[in-house]
Amino acid sequence: MDRLDELLAAHFKVDRAPGKLASRIVERARHAGGKGLELLDEIQITATDRGVCLIRAESLASPSSTKARRLVEQARVELAEYLEGKRTFFSVPVDLSAVAPFQRDVLETARRIPFGEVRSYAWIARQIGHRQAVRAVGTALGRNPVPLLVPCHRVLRSDGGVGGYLFGTRVKDGLLALERSTPVLQGCTTTRIVCRVGCVHGRHMSPENRVIFASVADARSVGYRPCKVCRPLADAMAN
Amino acid sequence: MGPDDGALMERVRRGDQAAFAALVGHYQDRLFTVAHRLLGNRADAEDAVQRAFLNCYLKSDHYEPRWQVSTWLYRILTNVCVDELRRRRIVGSAVRPPDEGPTDKPVQHLDFRRALERVPTEARMLLTLRYVDGLSYGELARVRGISINTVKSQLARGKAILRKVLR
Repeated sequence: MDRLDELLAAHFKVDRAPGKLASRIVERARHAGGKGLELLDEIQITATDRGVCLIRAESLASPSSTKARRLVEQARVELAEYLEGKRTFFSVPVDLSAVAPFQRDVLETARRIPFGEVRSYAWIARQIGHRQAVRAVGTALGRNPVPLLVPCHRVLRSDGGVGGYLFGTRVKDGLLALERSTPVLQGCTTTRIVCRVGCVHGRHMSPENRVIFASVADARSVGYRPCKVCRPLADAMAN
Repeated sequence: MGPDDGALMERVRRGDQAAFAALVGHYQDRLFTVAHRLLGNRADAEDAVQRAFLNCYLKSDHYEPRWQVSTWLYRILTNVCVDELRRRRIVGSAVRPPDEGPTDKPVQHLDFRRALERVPTEARMLLTLRYVDGLSYGELARVRGISINTVKSQLARGKAILRKVLR
């Protein structure tokens, strides 16, 4: 054994894991009923330089440019966080330039449905000014090139039925259940800043400093200010 | 590790929480050390270990008895760590400062840690697994999904870089 081996052995000596780590892991496993992450194994993502352009459960051509490949990797990271209940919004851009104008209007409207909420196909038809085009809205959403990033799973039938979904209604149910059980806003008791769940700043928050809020107004009433990075207030106003 | 791991995994697959707790208790120190050395700080390491065990629990259906449990766990953990390192590069998020190393000679270990940062990720990962848990070349190849010759050349490359930087 030479000197380098000794240094390596000393550096990589096994540490004791933090005391409560095991109990936290077991607790998380107990509550992790969903199998959302499996969805990520099934889907393929491709992108142009402008944004993610296609998500499908079939093999897709790899993007040709480095920028597009980075966008695909970013989308995978964000989708994994979303499916783990650690993200409530996506910052990766989507490219809908290849979509017809009517479908783009439908998708842009669906994109504005807040995390954890649902709307009806008829609501989208009204929003885009085509009241009678409810079935066309359903068709446009059914052909959504970027499901999950454009949350067409948040659109249900007016009679309360779940409607269809590209990955199956079981997945649609699962995603809606995940969103219902994931908090949207979290504040940090030390910085007094409220972020959307998934914000870069929120990731570094210690669990003991984390507090959940129902709205930005609630957070403000107890002295928190909205994060300037994820801008939860701008998101609330846009909706 | 021992022959009981397979039985433990079989119980985990059937949803046995006690078996899962036993598995976590048995492997958490080694997994935590690997994640800590790769990611550089305890908070990210804790997060990575939690995600790795959670993936293990949720995907226990995919586990095949012919695999060693340790190999499978290390494979999941290193993938989680690679994702985290990639996320830091893509998102450009603020990385938490590195913690104090495992050391009784701080200055020497600081130099060593800086030297390790010069080693490419794959080689650093192999060195970490090799020295934390003494995995064989064959086990390292299975964990990372590469050939034994690649393992040998990556380890040699990593050590050569360390020797050069520490000279």
